[in-house]
Order: sequence, then C-alpha cells, then structure tokens
Amino acid sequence: MKYQQSTGELVSPVFRNLRSYLGTLVGLSLLDGFALWFIYNLLADGVWFLGIAVFLVTLGINIIFLRKDLYPLRWISPGLALILLLAFYPILFSVYSAFTNYSDGHLLTKEQSINRITQDYYLPEDTETFSWELYRSENGNFALLLTGENGDRYWAKPDQPLEALPGQESPETYDGFVRVSRAESIKYLTEIESIAFGVGEEGVRVKSLSSAAQLQKRFVYNADIDAIIDQKQEIVYYADGDLGSFLSVTGTELFPGYQVAVGLDNFTRLIKSPALSGPFLQVFLWTIVFAFISVVSTFMLGLFLALVLDSPGIPLPKVIRSLLILPYAVPGVILILIWRGLLNPHLGVVNLTLMQWFGWAPAWFSDPFWTKMGILLVNLYLGYPYMMLICSGALKAIPQDVYEAAEVDGANIFQKFFNITLPYLLISVGPLLVSSFSFNFNNFNVIYLFNEGGPPIPNTPTPAGHSDILISYTYRLAFAGERGADYGYAAAIAFVIFIILSLITLFNFRFTRMWEEVSENV
Amino acid sequence: MSKKFSVLLGVVLILSFVLAACQPAPAAEPVSVEEPVAESPTEVVVEEPTTEPTTVPAEETVEEELPVLVIWSDEARAPVLEKLGAAFAEEYGVTIQVQQMGFGDVRDQLKVAGPAGEGPDILVGAHDWLGELTINGLLSPVDLEDKADLFLPAAVDAFMYDGVLYGLPYVTENVAFLRNPELVPDAPQTWSEVAQIAADLEASGVVKQGYIRQDGDPYHFYPILTAFDGYIFNVNENGYDPTDVGIDSEGGLAAGKWLEDMVTNGHVVAAVDYEIMHTMFEQGEAAMMITGPWALDRIRQSGIPYAISEIPSETGVGRPFLGVQGFMISAFSENKLLAQTFLNEYVATEETMLEIFAADPRASAFIPVRDAIEDEDIAAFGKAGEVGMAMPAIPEMSAVWTAFGDAINIVMQGQQPGQEAFENAAAQIRSAIEGN
Amino acid sequence: MFKQNAFSNSPLLKKRLLLWLRFVIILIAVLFALFPVIWIISAAFNASGTLATQKLIPNQISLANFQKMVNDPLHPFIRWTWNSIKVSIITSVLSVAITTFSAYAFSRFRFRLRRSLLMSILLVQVFPPVLAMIAVFLLVQQIGMYLPGFGLNTHGGLILIYLGGQMGINVWLMKGFFDSIPRDIDESAMVDGATYWESFWYLIFPLVRPMLVVVGILVFVGTFGDFVLARVILQDTQKFTLMVGLYMFISDRFSQNWGVFAAGSLLGSLPIVVLYLSLQDQIVSGLTKGAVKG
Repeated sequence: MKYQQSTGELVSPVFRNLRSYLGTLVGLSLLDGFALWFIYNLLADGVWFLGIAVFLVTLGINIIFLRKDLYPLRWISPGLALILLLAFYPILFSVYSAFTNYSDGHLLTKEQSINRITQDYYLPEDTETFSWELYRSENGNFALLLTGENGDRYWAKPDQPLEALPGQESPETYDGFVRVSRAESIKYLTEIESIAFGVGEEGVRVKSLSSAAQLQKRFVYNADIDAIIDQKQEIVYYADGDLGSFLSVTGTELFPGYQVAVGLDNFTRLIKSPALSGPFLQVFLWTIVFAFISVVSTFMLGLFLALVLDSPGIPLPKVIRSLLILPYAVPGVILILIWRGLLNPHLGVVNLTLMQWFGWAPAWFSDPFWTKMGILLVNLYLGYPYMMLICSGALKAIPQDVYEAAEVDGANIFQKFFNITLPYLLISVGPLLVSSFSFNFNNFNVIYLFNEGGPPIPNTPTPAGHSDILISYTYRLAFAGERGADYGYAAAIAFVIFIILSLITLFNFRFTRMWEEVSENV
Repeated sequence: MSKKFSVLLGVVLILSFVLAACQPAPAAEPVSVEEPVAESPTEVVVEEPTTEPTTVPAEETVEEELPVLVIWSDEARAPVLEKLGAAFAEEYGVTIQVQQMGFGDVRDQLKVAGPAGEGPDILVGAHDWLGELTINGLLSPVDLEDKADLFLPAAVDAFMYDGVLYGLPYVTENVAFLRNPELVPDAPQTWSEVAQIAADLEASGVVKQGYIRQDGDPYHFYPILTAFDGYIFNVNENGYDPTDVGIDSEGGLAAGKWLEDMVTNGHVVAAVDYEIMHTMFEQGEAAMMITGPWALDRIRQSGIPYAISEIPSETGVGRPFLGVQGFMISAFSENKLLAQTFLNEYVATEETMLEIFAADPRASAFIPVRDAIEDEDIAAFGKAGEVGMAMPAIPEMSAVWTAFGDAINIVMQGQQPGQEAFENAAAQIRSAIEGN
Repeated sequence: MFKQNAFSNSPLLKKRLLLWLRFVIILIAVLFALFPVIWIISAAFNASGTLATQKLIPNQISLANFQKMVNDPLHPFIRWTWNSIKVSIITSVLSVAITTFSAYAFSRFRFRLRRSLLMSILLVQVFPPVLAMIAVFLLVQQIGMYLPGFGLNTHGGLILIYLGGQMGINVWLMKGFFDSIPRDIDESAMVDGATYWESFWYLIFPLVRPMLVVVGILVFVGTFGDFVLARVILQDTQKFTLMVGLYMFISDRFSQNWGVFAAGSLLGSLPIVVLYLSLQDQIVSGLTKGAVKG
C-alpha cells in the first residue's frame, strides 16, 4: 500500500516545505505561549490535575507537529486534544473518585471542612449585646458606635480597645469617621461581617442589622494536633484520616466530614453487597437484551424506511422525510411522557381502543413483560429517525457501478440487498451500531421516565425493578443509602459497568475490524 | 499541502477564540433585575427609624465594589423575589440576582456548586433537605431575631436541625382527603368506611373507581400508614430514630393488609400516576383521593365539585407529612450578614409573604398572613395538617423512598400480599441504613 | 436507487402493486411518527390542557399558550431558542470540521497506535455520562477561572464540553463513511502527484459532503436536545438553552404547565425540522450523479 510509505517520499519543492515548516513553528509557539500562561496559572492556584492534563496535551501536540513521522496524527490532534481534555479527563476524575469516600457528608476537602466548621460563632453567657451604628473613614476603614443594654456607649475600632463615649447623641463625624445611616450601612454589611471591632476577647462582631456582640468562635482548628476544639463545650475532635471526619474520643462525629482516599473500600463494599447476589444477574441480562433489541429494531426500521423513501414515485418525498424525522426533533422527555399517557390502562387512547376492539389490552406498567415491550416500543419510536438519517446518507456512498455490475450478472433485488447494500452499509454504519449499543446500555432516561424501572421485583435484598438496567439500578444502590448520595460508590459501580461494557464493545469491535477489512478489499 | 492544512487548522482555532471573545465575562453581563422595577412596593421600609437623609461623603468618588446577592429559587417564588430584589437594589444599591431552577435542582446543584464557590447566597427549598445539606456543611444558621414569634412554631421547628435553625419558613403544606360531595356526601371517618363507600359506588356504576391513589409514593401513603398506627421511623426525644423502622410493625402490616384487600376487591388499581389520578377525579370517574394544595388550581378549573376534609383514621390517627418550605443561607456565601438582613427585613414582612401566597397559594408559615387568608380550601388543608408530622429531614430517609415505594407498588400490582411486601421493604431499609 | 432498474423487466401490474405497497408502508410509518406528536399539538392549542389524557380535539382552540410563552418575561422562550440555535450551530460547524480531519486520517493513513487510538475513542463514549457530570462541572469551573468566556454559565464552556463529548462517536461515523469510498480514487490521484491535502480537498471532500451534512445534523440535534449538560453548566435564565428552560417547566411535577411546555416543544422542534427540510437535498442527492468512477 502506498499510504504506508513515509511522507518523506512525497517530496514537495523545498521552499514550500520551508514555508509550511515556519508556519507550523509560528502556530506552535502561539499555542505554547497560551498553554504556558494557562498552566502557570493553574499550578499557581494548586489546580494540579488540570494543569498536568493541559501540559501533557500541549506537549503531545508539539511532538506531533515537530516530528515528520507523526504526520497522520496532525490531522487528528485537534480532535484528540478535545477528547482528552473534555471527555477523557472527566472520566479519569470520576474513576479517581471511586477510590475516595466522596459522598454526602464528605463532599468537601479537608481545608473546606475545617473552614466550614470553624465558621460558626456563639454568644458566650454573660456577654453583652449592643446595638450599633456604623462609621466610615475616607479611606474606607470602619468603626462602630456601640450602645449597650444599659445605655453605655463605646467607640470600637478594629485592633484597638473599646473606648467609652460620653453623651447621648450620635455625632455626625468622630475621630475622622463619618456616620453612615442605617440604610446606607446595608451595603457595607459584607465588608464589616468579618471584622472584629476591639482587641481579642473583647472584639465585637456585627451579628445582625440591629445587634452586635462579643461573639466567640465556637470551633477552633489546631494544626499541631490536627484537631478541632469545641470552645463552648471543651471537646476535642481529632481528624480521622481513614474516615475523613473529625471524631471526639467518645466517637461523636463533627459535620461536615471531608474527602479522603479509601482505596478499594467502595469495590469491596460492592462485592459484599447483597445487591450483587440478588437481582444483579437478572438486571444485567435485561440490560443486554434491551440494548441489543433497541439497536437492531431501530436499525432495521430506519434502514427499511430509508430504502423505501429512496425509491422514485413517492409523492412529496421531502415532506414525508421531515415528518418521519419528527420523533427525533421533538424533545425525548415529552415524547416519553406522551407515550406513557397514551398507553395508560385507565385513560390512554391506545389501551382504551384495544379494550374496545378486543376486550384485552396489555398492562404496560404493571406487567414485567409488557413494561419491557413498552420500553422497546418507545425506544424504537425515539431511535429510528437517527438510523434513518444515517442510512440515507450512507446509502448514497455506495458506488453505483457495483450495482450495475450486479445487474449485468442478473442479481435480483434481495441478492443485491444482502450482497451489496448491507455489507457496504455496515462498513460505515457498523461502528455506529456498536456505539448505539453502548448508548442504550446506559440509557437511563427512557427507563426511568417510562416506568421508573418498575414493576418492582418482590423479595429482593435491595430494591430493584423488572425494567431496571444497570445504570438505573446503580442509582438505586448509590443514592438511596445510609446517608443519601454516595458518589464514590456510584463511581465504583460505574467503573465496573465501564469495564463490562468495554469488554462487550471490544468484542463487537472485532466485527468492525472485519468490516474494515472488507472495505480495504474494495 | 500541509500549509493549507495548517491554515485550516488555524481557522478552526481562531474561530474558537473568536467564540471566546463573543462570550462576555460573567461579571460584565448585566443582571436581569431591572425589568420589574415599576411595581416595586415603595412602602417597604427598614424597621429602624434612623433612616436619615443619606449623608454620602463627597469624597466617595471611588466606585466601591458593591456586593451581589445571588438567590436560587424555584419558578413560583422567582418573580416575587425579583421584584423584591429590584426594590432592595434601588434602596440600598445591593444587586439581587435571582437564578431560577427546578425546585429539586436547587438541592442537587448546591452540593456541587457550593463547595466550588459558584453557589448562591440564599436558596429556596424544603425543610426535609436539612439533613442532607447540613451534614455536607452547606448551610449557615439563620437568626429570626425578634421576628421569630411571627412564624408558626411547627414550621420553625421543622427548620431546626440538631438544635440550630437553618431556615426562614414561608409556607407549610400537607395532603388532605378530597372527595366529590355529590357522590360522597359525608366525609368518611375511617379507612374501612372508605373501602365500603368505594365498593358501593363501584357497584352502582356511577364511577370507575370509588377511591383512587397514585402508584408507589410513600408520601401519599403515610397518612394511611399512620391511620393504622404504623410508622416509618419512630420518634424519640431526639426526633426521628433511624434505627426503629416501623413499616413492618403491627400497624404497618395492618395498613398493608388494608391496601391488599382494596386491591383484591378492585377498589385500588395500579398504573395510576399523579396526572391520571387527578384527571379521573376531575372527570368524575373517581370519587375520593388524597392530594395536596398544589392541585387546587387544576381541580377548581375543572369545575368538579370537591370537598376537603381530614385524613380518615382507623386504629390510629391519619397523619399527613408536614412539609415546610423556606429560605436558607449557603455556608459558602460571602454575604451572610447581608443575606440575613435581606431575609429579616424584606422577606419576613406581611407584604412579601402575601405576594408569595398569591403566587402559589399554600398555607403561609407567617402567622399574620396565615390568619389573614380567607381561602376556605387552604384553611381546610391547614386543618388536616394540624395532626401532621414534619417529614423526616434525616438523610436516612433517602433509603425509604425507593424501598417502601416499591413495596406499595408490589401490593398494588397484586404481586404479593401486603405483609410480605412490607416486611421485605423494612428489611431493605434496615440493610441500607446499616450501610450495605 | 437500485429498485429503479430492478423491475424494468417485470409486468406493469407488479410494479403498480409494489408502488401501492410502498404507499401503505409509508402511510403507516408517518402515522406512527405523528401519533404522539398530534397530542403535543393538541395540548399546545388547548388553553387548559393536561398532557396525554386530554381529548384529542380541544374544547376550544386557543393561542393562549403561545402568547403566554412569547410574552412571559421570566421565561424568555425566544431568547432561549436563539441561544440553542447559536450554540448548536457553532458546535456542529466546529465539530464537523475537527471530526472530518480526524476521520480522514484514521481512514486513509496507517500508523502506529491507530487501532488503539480508535478503540480508546470509542471506549471514552462507553462511560456512563450521567456519572461524569460532577467532574464536568468542576472542569468547566476551573477553566472559567482563567478563561472567563469558557467557564460556568457561558455558552463557550457549554460548546467546549459538547465538542469533547460528541467527538468520539462522530469520528467513527465519519471514518466509516470515508472507508466506504474506494481507495482507488485517492490512490490514483496520489500517483499523479497530488498531496494528501489536495486529494482530500478536491476528491474526497466533495464525495463525503452528504455525510458531513448528516453528521452536522446529528450534532445539531444532539446539542439542541441536550438538557443534562446544559442544566449543569448554565445558571442564568437569560443564558438558558431552550431545553433547559423547558425542563425547568416540568421539573416540579406539581406545577406542570403542560400547555406552554407543549407549545415550547413545538417551537423547539421547528428549527430541526426546517434544518432537515433545507439540507435534505444535500443528503439525498449528494452522490447520485455518479461522480465515483475510479
């Protein structure tokens, strides 16, 4: 094959090479300049993961464009960079969280958790509450005029002891500060929120629009012993790096906890879970059946319609094609809901009509078999226009002369379809079927919106439904546990699904290789 | 060759940068607050009498960066808040930015956006989120100060978690028993009576279903469960106790048995959702159901006669879940004091609470407004809610919804008797709470 | 196309019969396609509508839902539609351009790592997207800290994520299209001294144009119809895409505005139908002229 030769043999005039080389260099340096700035900022802010990812992608692009033997990759590099950064990176990130305790109660980083816990103030007993008036200096500093419960007045500035003030009137200006009206002070609330007026223990903080007090921090973090101390009740909570929580000696937990790596915990939990010994196999089989039938049925109907529409003699072909594509154009959510309504046994047109004609109608929502049929029907409805679109495009790519040759040989319509149309079509559409399979494998929407995975299977150790597929089952497992949502666990299950589905995909992939080989023999 | 190629590549890259340039930075984007300024109620004032002519020092030429309060709100509350925000902005120069999202999305997105520093200052939500949100450290305490007495104590209690108040409540809601008085003249007192009336009505053929209920849905089943003396979580001095699950208690199983009998006799049918249930009631094809004040609008529009009464009892009292909605402050807000002030001075007023009521009529949690409202239906719902119990806010509740809902469905679909289904659900919940 | 000649020798009657059969099939298919849509139309024109359980012909036909939709300041549907169109067009154009290059290389070059790269691209698609959502959010947020135009609550950020997410499968689709074009075409051109670029641009590109349109439409529809990603990334009502806006309408099941929702869905399906209507010729008649002759 000529294409396997290196590009060097397709010699172009030297000056042309030079110009393109210079162009490449200029382009690369622009890109690198930008990337450097970006990476520098990322690393400076401690966003390591993303910084490294951007660095690797940039490095890759440089190598690709500077090395001649990587010429084919130049064509691919923009797409590759996008996939790596925007699709692959989030996946890596999710997989990483499968090894952490990222879940309700442990959403924050340790630093955030400490910040949150030490954020609250409390009012110690026997401390005075003041009403306050705000004063502001020209250069934007603040001071408070405090009035105690007994009418004592103080002048309070940050880092300076409170100063008793005589008199009753609030002066317009004092000490270089100008009085700020109550209404006006609202917009400064955010600025004065974090200021303690006064020194240390006697520092007064604004508590609300009408009051201020010597609020004390309820919790204080001590980095030396890596613990948080409850000032009010004098309890020490030590950081537990395995759990990702601050625990007292008696085992009381301080919320919120934080994220820590937990190794394979989520995976061992999955293996030990009754969910695996329970309905897992049933769910798994239905997932495969659902995905397979969805792909085959939509493909067959789509191809069939594409073929029928392809022939002459159809009136208004454009209009009809556009009508047929409607299920694709209208949002799927609303269509599923409409179908639910139409199939309803009590009020739905389909079922009422069937009842009238035959005295029987399927129990779409309470019978396991008919729920599955209903889902497949709705999915066929939603999915065929996609296949029709692709097939009508792909049909056009089949060279006419092949048909002409076949006709000379006297092939009939079926022979032509099975020997020419289908093989050719599968070259271009085959991989798509594979990915359509994986799409349906994870098609949460249609399952959930149609019947929420129901009808439920009785006597299962964990809740599961007859029409649940793996991904909707995951939802039930990971988001209905001890403490609400467990993203780490969900990610672990997702990872397992990912492995299973990858294996299936790779298996299917062998067919695409087959198709590809067919194409090379053309 | 590769020159043209690089040119094309360059074009693609440049295109994406042009695209970047087209997108104004978030800060530069004007906020959509200006629109409803016209109707802003001017009489809203800050309580403090010290409002003197604002003495803005002349030197204040340097533009300060004024804080922006971001509020996440559902659709019904958003217009009211936008209006308030406009008034607040005009009076104090603090911009209020209302971001509208689906009610449940507020909670889900806060969990990701909050820690990332992209969350709101104030959020509108339900009290039963408290457990989930507080163990994640997402909420900051709220102080009602001298206005605390103006709120329904039960509503304030509902927003307490571990002894700390986390919300300013604005509405309470609960389901009640609805019937078509032309078909059922007197409100049934017990669930056995409901079964009897349903049997009679169906036998006489005036309706398809005497009593109708939507599939699964522990929320709407809870009143029946409690009517038979069952419970989901028992209550001890600390509130709901997640270690004591009562779906398979004697009362719970009795409720399951009642449901099972209803199903066997054809008085309860499966494959009914919220939409179907209401449509059948509104078309006169069903005579009794349990629903909440959110459905009042459509029932009234349908023109069907209806009467609202308390939940029938049986061996126990039929207690609906009490849901309270309120305003909460994000722990990641940098304007907590301002947010608190906005809530206390601007939201906790009769005018605002009335507007919130007008936008979405449900029983107000603000006593002056609750008392002022003369809507009989809302009052009837309120009456049914007097025996209500606050929906558990503990995070363990998330294990209940699916397991118990499935069990109810299994009985409704006739797959299993009530006892087996409910016992299995209780086992599933216990196992989930133990962390399996 | 091949049917054209298939029955040239058959009796006229058989031909007629087949034509009728085809009519019937198409009629059934159109009915199937339209069946649920009719309900949406009906709900849209019904002033006090519920969704699927309503009567097919509304008691009174009114434009109230459409008026409500257009005039509602809190739900700027027109703006949302425009946002959707903008985002979708930019995404599809960029996506098609980038995809085409990659696919061409995968189809026409043989190089190390080719198969592994192809496989990895496919496998990236296999990860359950719902579960990567949190990571996507954090990624966009981090990017936005430095490139505000591509951060949260921007269309730029949304487009970026769409580009990355849809790339994989479209590369495969396009590669399949390239594969089905006989290699003799460019091989013979190369022998005549054409460069890769020339053979791509002058020979292959015109041949795959119908497929580019197909892929473009696929990306457009996929982007236009997405609400999962858009909901996570967009926060400001003014920036919503149509699907996010519509989703918000029904997300709270107790305050369903079915009529307006139905009207919005119809409005939303219009751009796609119009696009398809106008680009159909590109797809259907693209190659029949018989340009392919080695």
